[in-house]
Amino acid sequence: MEAGYGAVRVLHGVSIEIHEGETVVLLGTNGNGKSTLMKCIMGIVRPDAGEIVLETDGRRTNLVGRSPEEIVNLGIALVPEGRRLFPVLTVEENLRLGAYRRAARPDLERNLAFCFEAFPVLRERQRQLAGSMSGGEQQMLAVARALMSNPRILLIDEPSVGLAPILVSRVIAKIRELKEIYQLTVLMAEQNFNQATKIADRGYIIVHGQIEFEGHSTRELTEHALVKKYYLGV
Amino acid sequence: MFSFHLLLNVIVAGILLGGFYAAVSLGITLAFGLLNVVNIAHPAFVILGSYAAFVVNSRFGLDPILAGLLFMPVFFLLGIGVYRIYYASFEKRAEESLRGLVFFFGIIFIIEVSLSLQYGVDYRSVHAAYVGDSFRLGPIELAFRLAIPCAMALVLTLALHLFLSRTFYGRAVKAVSQDHLALRLMGADPVRIKGLAFGIAIATASLAGALLIMIGPVEPSIGREYIGRVFAIAVLGGMGSIGGTLVAALILGVLESLTSTFYGPSWALAVSFGILLLVLAVRPSGLVGRAG
Ligand SMILES: Nc1ncnc2c1ncn2[C@@H]1O[C@H](COP(=O)(O)OP(=O)(O)OP(=O)(O)O)[C@@H](O)[C@H]1O
Ligand SMILES: [Mg+2]
Repeated sequence: MEAGYGAVRVLHGVSIEIHEGETVVLLGTNGNGKSTLMKCIMGIVRPDAGEIVLETDGRRTNLVGRSPEEIVNLGIALVPEGRRLFPVLTVEENLRLGAYRRAARPDLERNLAFCFEAFPVLRERQRQLAGSMSGGEQQMLAVARALMSNPRILLIDEPSVGLAPILVSRVIAKIRELKEIYQLTVLMAEQNFNQATKIADRGYIIVHGQIEFEGHSTRELTEHALVKKYYLGV
Repeated sequence: MFSFHLLLNVIVAGILLGGFYAAVSLGITLAFGLLNVVNIAHPAFVILGSYAAFVVNSRFGLDPILAGLLFMPVFFLLGIGVYRIYYASFEKRAEESLRGLVFFFGIIFIIEVSLSLQYGVDYRSVHAAYVGDSFRLGPIELAFRLAIPCAMALVLTLALHLFLSRTFYGRAVKAVSQDHLALRLMGADPVRIKGLAFGIAIATASLAGALLIMIGPVEPSIGREYIGRVFAIAVLGGMGSIGGTLVAALILGVLESLTSTFYGPSWALAVSFGILLLVLAVRPSGLVGRAG
């Protein structure tokens, strides 16, 4: 896939593959194109060339050219960069909006109860405005809101940004737990190597809009020279 | 001569008037408060509603309130059409601020001129058996021509409140101007949501117009008197809050009623501008404005 913004080229021949039930991490430092890749999958940025193919139940669907609404309706949810909650709606209203797509509506009450169980703080704060929550609470709300849409594939863009280390561990552990329960397929963009590899099955390293390395296991990722240089500072 | 009895009746009249003001302002609360569409033509749509009620009332003798309700779907579609044009011409290109205002000025002009050409500039009114009647509640005298509009306005307020707080569309309407991309990530198309909400806003003008012509005679440019009022109410009500709009409308109604009784009717219009200035200076977020 090739993509960019106007004259700015960001992704150059990026190719990745995620299988059902996997948790794949997309590692890259600032400005390397992680969010752009996520936006392409969601139909927010239209790639200039290439394909994004969803294979479900033996059917192939090309996502390129589809609107974000259509892609959400195919069962893909994004926890976007910067969380993008509705700041002057309450926690509960944010969660209910997460279940906007038709396929998610019948399960709304069950999913809501589940989110409150998974994140008790959201239950306590359900009447509070989302914008007045702490950063960690907002990140949990963003993950919970995405789950409300009953996705089969969950894309998470840097869940660790702006969180204290203890909170990062907690959010990451929660994502793993939810993934198991919901039997999700997960693609997570991260810079926090140590945290991301706690839950990833394997991953890609993206540098200047190109896949520099594909690690078939977290061990392969850890041993890679780029990781040592950029993320582990060795 | 000051008397408690007079004061009581003036306040009650103000509450009834305020209820009606809520009906006129709800469309502004939706469009301006929730969608960021500065529809200054809303009062003109209300006048259009008055004339729609007038026409079917004078031709077919249909009850004005019923006429107002019947025209709501037509106004709803009209609103969607107007929003589509507004979106394609201005909002899509992020040129809505000044040009959008000119667009709505144009609509005011078109509505006023068309009505004047078609029906002249004379005052028009509607007929219904109950319009001249009133009933007594203890020391209070209630005129039907004020009490019915107030009751209808309360029903409309409640319906909109339930729509916004209980339905998926309603919640999307509240969210759309906060983050339209995030709304797309929920699977909702912001342009459709805004079109729908704008359609509802204009549909309320149909009913509000019928209420207006029930309260008193209407001529094509009378809507101008309401521009200041509805914006004062929307701002005082906290921009986008349905409950806040009702409370603000009641406050304005009572203040206007007191002012016109004790200082003279010509001062009544000054009240809304006084409130507008005061709120903007002291508490820009309005009575029930949410932070953030
Ligand atoms: N809307 C935009 N318009 C123009 N350029 C953009 C836009 N969004 C991103 N870019 C550019 O594209 C490049 C990749 O950005 P992207 O957001 O995908 O990086 P990232 O890997 O997500 O970085 P970070 O870790 O900081 O979030 C950057 O150079 C950025 O400046
Ligand atoms: Mg990013």
